[in-house]
Amino acid sequence: MTEPAMQLIGLKKQIGSKLIVKGLDFDIQPGEVFGFLGPNGAGKTTTIRMMVGLIRISEGDVRIQGKSIKTDYKEAIRHVGAIVENPELYGFMSGYKNLLVFSRMIPGISKDRIDEVVKLVGLEKRIHQKVKRYSLGMRQRLGIAQALLHNPSILILDEPTNGLDPSGIREIRQYIRRLAEQENVAVIVSSHLLSEMELMCDRIGILKNGELISIQQIQNAEEDTPAEVVQINCPAAHHEKAQRLLQEEFGVTAMASGEKLTFPITREEIPSIIKALALADVEMYGVAVERKTLEDKFLHVIGENVIE
Amino acid sequence: MSNFFQLVRNEQTKLYSQLATWIMLGILIVVVLGFAIIMRTADSFIGEYDDATWKQDLQEQSADIAEYDPTAPEIMINNYRIENDMKPEGTTAWEFLYQSNFMTSVLSLLTIIVAGGIIANEYRWGTIKLLLIRPATRTKIFFAKYASVLLFALTALIVLFVFSWLFGMLFFGLGGDGTTLQVQDGEVVEISIWTRIAQDYGLQLVKLVVWATFAFMISAALRNGALAIGTAIFLMFVGSSVTMFISDKPFAKYVLFSNLDLTQFTTGYKIIEDLTLTFSVVTITVYYLIFLIIGWVLFTKRDVAGH
Repeated sequence: MTEPAMQLIGLKKQIGSKLIVKGLDFDIQPGEVFGFLGPNGAGKTTTIRMMVGLIRISEGDVRIQGKSIKTDYKEAIRHVGAIVENPELYGFMSGYKNLLVFSRMIPGISKDRIDEVVKLVGLEKRIHQKVKRYSLGMRQRLGIAQALLHNPSILILDEPTNGLDPSGIREIRQYIRRLAEQENVAVIVSSHLLSEMELMCDRIGILKNGELISIQQIQNAEEDTPAEVVQINCPAAHHEKAQRLLQEEFGVTAMASGEKLTFPITREEIPSIIKALALADVEMYGVAVERKTLEDKFLHVIGENVIE
Repeated sequence: MSNFFQLVRNEQTKLYSQLATWIMLGILIVVVLGFAIIMRTADSFIGEYDDATWKQDLQEQSADIAEYDPTAPEIMINNYRIENDMKPEGTTAWEFLYQSNFMTSVLSLLTIIVAGGIIANEYRWGTIKLLLIRPATRTKIFFAKYASVLLFALTALIVLFVFSWLFGMLFFGLGGDGTTLQVQDGEVVEISIWTRIAQDYGLQLVKLVVWATFAFMISAALRNGALAIGTAIFLMFVGSSVTMFISDKPFAKYVLFSNLDLTQFTTGYKIIEDLTLTFSVVTITVYYLIFLIIGWVLFTKRDVAGH
């Protein structure tokens, strides 16, 4: 197994007597897009700020390519490119000058690299304009450009699609996927937009009240048929018969509640199930198909958003 | 080290990319021009003294001054001139140049504005989050910014010098033998005009550096530019009045304000009698270092949290 791009080891943050982040332990692998999901106030931003050394770590550590951000800051941060919250850049300078200024802070970035990054984010035509004239989408691109200048192996994007229009969101998503797949960059994305996360992440960590309560692997749409949840409305008297049939013929376990039977199944199997149940004389008053989204899982895991 | 140089260069790039910086330098030039015009058109302006009547003119001048300050050094200088038969030159570019030294307070104002904003603005713009996630330590960034403030003060000083000289030549012309008279320890002595200029500007610059450092400290510690600029300017202007109020208190000599006006040692006009030059220099240095250390510690240790 390769060395993780980033490791969080018992990471805690205490402000006053309040524990904001209560001990996070997980690894992020190279080439992986890791989503950081959680309601407001869950500690996402605090965690991200600790990852890049903006906030001091109370306990535990963050290791970047094996280097501790606490004791080996310069070596660790060299591998990180980030946008923390909004892509705020110097509005009174041109996009190019912004990149030039940031390039001087890290040895070994050539002018060619700046041009390359500008091209990558598609800002060639507007790069010499002042940033204050940029739209939010253009700023977001410039923000990504500055984060990529030094070829980081870890890219941290806090709310990257915030305030972007749908086409902008799609573009950002494509950049992120490309970086992970082609350049083997580990990308850490935070968001509260669940559907968005589902489309771009490989794994999603769910944070609630400073604790990681679940890590979900996201299935790739092309590889797997999305699971459907089928709900059948039939009298309780028929439940046993139906459940036995489903178990024997299709290998699924149906849950009964009230007049309803609920079970997961692939889309292709739905017609044959209905046919089988009808032939077995199960009285059905309704069949509903619902797709279980990440949102359901999220709400299921997270419960109510209670800020402690 | 080259890394540090790049950081300073970045700060300069950012500073001079802002229109406000150029406006400030423009204001400085306009003030110098305004001062030159006022001096040239004032009633008391004398371009050249008449060979026959200059002694009489000086005596009249002395009498005028004596009405409100009989011990003024100007009277001693005038008497010295009459006794030694040294006809004054009238106003020359040289004289204008050292008269301009009071404009270092404008310079201080501008430097305080730059110092007060240079860290606080990064917080206000949100760019601090980009600045502090690079392989440059916070200490390096802190001192690069500080160096950049001093560099700005130096640049503005050069602008002040060049334009004072330029307008001085235009309005008053060159002249004189490069010497001037000054009262030192109750005696009139002849000194080189450059000594005089270096001395006047140098002593003013001490004040400038101290207040700029103070503004820089507030900017780094509290991340509030307006507060930094406001308090520094306020303290700079009330400083000498505070000295007056507390001069009879035993702690007065340890107060920064009492020591900051180093011209008291060249003119001999001291508010607190037992101050010595060495004592003042040490006191100022101690305050200066405290300002820098507080700013540095808070800048490097405090979390950069969200809004």
